[in-house]
Amino acid sequence: MEENTNPVYKDKAYGQYRELSYSYEDGGQFQKTVGFHGEADRVILQQAWDLFHERIEEARQRVISGKVSPVVYYMEKNLLDPLNLSMMAGIAVWRVKWHFRPGVFKRLSESTLQKYAAAFNITIDQLKKVE
Amino acid sequence: METTKTIINYTHRQAGHCESGATSNLFKFNGLELSEPMAFGIGNGLYFSYIPFLKIQFAPMISFRNLPNTVFKRSTEYMGIEATVVKKIKDPKEAMEMLDRNLERGIPTGCQVGVFQLTFFPPEYRMHYNMHNLVVFGKEGNMYHISDTVMEHPQLLSYDDLLRVRYAKGAFAPQGKMYWINHPVDRPIDLKPAIIKGIKKTVYEMIGIPFPLIGVKGLRWMARDIKKWPKKHGEDKAAFYLGQILRMAEDFGTGGAGFRYIYGAFLKEAGEMFNNHQELLEASDMMGRTANKWREFTYIGARNCKNRSKPEEDYGTLSQKLLEIAADEENVYKKLKNLKF
Repeated sequence: MEENTNPVYKDKAYGQYRELSYSYEDGGQFQKTVGFHGEADRVILQQAWDLFHERIEEARQRVISGKVSPVVYYMEKNLLDPLNLSMMAGIAVWRVKWHFRPGVFKRLSESTLQKYAAAFNITIDQLKKVE
Repeated sequence: METTKTIINYTHRQAGHCESGATSNLFKFNGLELSEPMAFGIGNGLYFSYIPFLKIQFAPMISFRNLPNTVFKRSTEYMGIEATVVKKIKDPKEAMEMLDRNLERGIPTGCQVGVFQLTFFPPEYRMHYNMHNLVVFGKEGNMYHISDTVMEHPQLLSYDDLLRVRYAKGAFAPQGKMYWINHPVDRPIDLKPAIIKGIKKTVYEMIGIPFPLIGVKGLRWMARDIKKWPKKHGEDKAAFYLGQILRMAEDFGTGGAGFRYIYGAFLKEAGEMFNNHQELLEASDMMGRTANKWREFTYIGARNCKNRSKPEEDYGTLSQKLLEIAADEENVYKKLKNLKF
């Protein structure tokens, strides 16, 4: 499968997945084709990921400069917003937002930290700092 | 440690849409040849809803599909096939044991899962999307054999990973939902009443529901909103929102153009089944043309996303195109509504 990568994609990881898509011609036939994603799909996917990476990088800088707690960085890294994070960790939204402050984050109990760590699928030690 | 090995003789066929593909494969396993478009049409896969005040991945929520599990539930119900759907299992370990018991009895079982932590998926596609479906058809030691219809080949997934995706949290959490067909189908099944029921329900859902954000009305609402985006949110955000629509419509799991191609194929197949029913075939042709328009819309939109700062086509044109599409689709549904079989 390796040599069959789609030339449209620069990144190798994209190119190995072929999907089935339908098409219609005016003769009245619906056709199934198995193929790679086209240029249009790549553009819109790339656009979304550009935005996500931008947000992650910005969050990382803000954590390093001490403006927000690492929860924000891991939230952005997992493509979450406070509402979704509250659902995943089982903590109320206003509490999640409260924990964005570095001072508050430092005083959090083990069990709350454990909830965040489980939601992000990492250990507590990893949660306390950013890469 | 001894390794147990149970693998059911299950044929994996790739499909455009995860759930109708899984349904069609499960029927095939139980001795009923049903194509993917057929399962999709009978089970009312077609849908549209636009919910601007609910944000998913920082953009308004747009859905081209029905709620999870509709396709399987409705298609078995309309055809009178006995099937079991377990909606919610509280204890994850119990859910996995149920799955193991099913596999030992030789029943391939469908599960609803979340995509974000599905390890065999390409990383670029791992978004928070909890309405994905796959079929488990074998266990070998600690590894499960998975048939995911959007992938070309069957995949392997470990116990822990499967448990994690089955209990993914967030909006529309799967909560361990699983479904299967109880007995092999041994009697001939008349598809015609099921097809009529399916078409009627879809027509109702697309033009009958008196709520402005669902069906063709929702499409019109979205078309009107697109025009306002650049002024309201700025060019960058407008492009991202537009990208969200296109991703939902064209990225994998739709068969292209937000399921419109699959539905057209269903209408064609149904028309052939009703002795070349003229009006059904015409409706299928109209649906195919609409789907082509959707694809055109995607290409224009993608070009717009590429040159974010200087859009080639302004959002007014895109909005006009969507309104055209909405009018076309409405014609199809109106035609289907007045059909006589």
